[in-house]
Amino acid sequence: MNLTVLWNLLVTGILRGGLYALMAGGLALLFGVMNICNFAHGELFVVGAYVAYFAYVTFGLPPLLAILIAAGASFLVGALLEKSLILPLRRRSKGEWIMNTFLLTSGLSVVMQNTAQRVWGVRYRGITQYWAGTIRITPTMSVAVDRAVAFLIAVVGITGFWLFLRRTNVGRAIRAVSQNETGAMLVGIDLDNIQTLTFALGSMLAGLGGASMLSLIPAYPFAGGKPNITSWFVVTVVGLGNVGGSIVGGFIVGLVESFAFFYLGSGWQDVFSLGVIILILLVKPSGLFGSEVKGVLER
Amino acid sequence: MTDVTQSNQTDSSPTRSIWPAVWRWLQDSPIQPVAWPLLAILLLLPVVFRDAYLHRLLAASLLFGAQAMVFDFTGGYINAVNFGFAAFVGLGAYTSGLLAVNAGISPWIGMPAGALAAGLVGFITGALTLRLRGVYVSIMAWFVGLALMAVTYAMVGLTRGAQGINVPYLLETPDTLPYYYILLGMTVVIYVVLRLVIHSRVGLAFKAIGQNFEAARASGVDPTRYKLINFTLSCACAGLLGGFYAHFVGVLTPGMMVTDNTIEVMALSYIGGTGTLLGGLVTAFLITPLFDYLKGLMEIRLIIYGMLLILTMILYPAGLDGLFQWLVGRIKGRQKQG
Repeated sequence: MNLTVLWNLLVTGILRGGLYALMAGGLALLFGVMNICNFAHGELFVVGAYVAYFAYVTFGLPPLLAILIAAGASFLVGALLEKSLILPLRRRSKGEWIMNTFLLTSGLSVVMQNTAQRVWGVRYRGITQYWAGTIRITPTMSVAVDRAVAFLIAVVGITGFWLFLRRTNVGRAIRAVSQNETGAMLVGIDLDNIQTLTFALGSMLAGLGGASMLSLIPAYPFAGGKPNITSWFVVTVVGLGNVGGSIVGGFIVGLVESFAFFYLGSGWQDVFSLGVIILILLVKPSGLFGSEVKGVLER
Repeated sequence: MTDVTQSNQTDSSPTRSIWPAVWRWLQDSPIQPVAWPLLAILLLLPVVFRDAYLHRLLAASLLFGAQAMVFDFTGGYINAVNFGFAAFVGLGAYTSGLLAVNAGISPWIGMPAGALAAGLVGFITGALTLRLRGVYVSIMAWFVGLALMAVTYAMVGLTRGAQGINVPYLLETPDTLPYYYILLGMTVVIYVVLRLVIHSRVGLAFKAIGQNFEAARASGVDPTRYKLINFTLSCACAGLLGGFYAHFVGVLTPGMMVTDNTIEVMALSYIGGTGTLLGGLVTAFLITPLFDYLKGLMEIRLIIYGMLLILTMILYPAGLDGLFQWLVGRIKGRQKQG
């Protein structure tokens, strides 16, 4: 195997890893704070992709602005979904909450996918690139500017998100809720608002992923399927609800996928992924970086 | 039947005591009382209405309904939602279909073989995850389902990949009615087996204890073992129904394993009411014919399914069964008053 191939695999892997880290981080946040299994996470990715496409292509806005608008739009859609669906479910449903959120969001995913298909058809709305040009590192190794910037956006998104959680009061409130809901309420945190904000934030990360990856994955009704599966894969591998682990895991999975795809081909790569999951569940069911805080085993 | 009622009216013969005995047997038996009139309706409907289109509709509804019933057996009783359900159905279908195509094995042997294959994969999936929280089973079953679909697409030499395979039919007749009655027989057998498990000592203990695992272990019930039996059986039944599907429709494509199909079955079972077995079955007969008008508009159909699932979860978690129980309660209350 020569150096150019290795380089390309690495670049693709890290680039995809950035996307997965972004999405899986959002998914893990939802589980860690609200105990929500969001199956419609991929659909928020699609929301970001569509909005970015319309802002950039239809309205001719500059790329960075289009991506920001898309992130904002996914934030709003997330907030709306939380207020209209998750909150009533929390108030009214009986039975196991986690399972109920899983079912509710899987219904939501089907509705969003097929509504998109009804409204916009199955047409692929993609762009070749936001930014032209390539960065040459050596004569044989290069990386497209578009890819590099997309990766940079993912890194900035993750870092900003991380700092927000660590350094701001609202971020501390979110982490407090994830540790102990009753305790958080007792110190005066408004649970309803924090939960809406958390859901919106998770959605925004997915939307940011969809917008910045538009040149790689075009906007179409079912574009969220693969990112959704992969981010679920990441959070399961690292342990449900572990935000920091998901970010590291996203990069690992991105790299492993890139190499598995090269050696095994697209069909068998999924089988390989399943093998990895089975192995992890056998050896360490709480995931690679998992702790038993949220309780993995049935009690 | 008629002479029994007559003897009941004469009020003097020794057969007088047969009704209370029958009633007691009905209540003690694992079969829910409401299953009898339902079975009678399903048996008689195609005889009363002799219409080929209606017969096809009935068979399609029953196929969906039976799947919803099998789905509810895990979803409603051990709270483990099999998110790869459609793939288990597909595994049974492909096993039976490929056996028939490549080895010339009769579908009558192929269908149980399909059930066996799906049951085996279900057993392994369950053994790995059922000691974990419920959502792990769902995620794992989902990944297993995705892998099964990926393998079916990838093994082009055996399954012809996305092109799909043609499978011999179960019967030589083009008439749907015999298929319908065979499927009805299979559904009844599956229903009785599922009820027997639910009604068994361990099943009842599990239900009484609910999800409290310490209490279960303290009272000598091994919850993981019961859940494993339940999950394996459900997957095997899914495989059996898949085998029937293969030889009923005659064409198999890997697309049948897609998650959307699982969500359709799941929606039926939840709209009907979980933990009822029959709720999803009845719902299938209400919804499938309705959707036949929307043929070709798959997306609208799925939008409605998704909406109904969401609305049921938020507004009325008890589902149609809850509505039914409420009605029965009202009628009984009125009788007491009158």
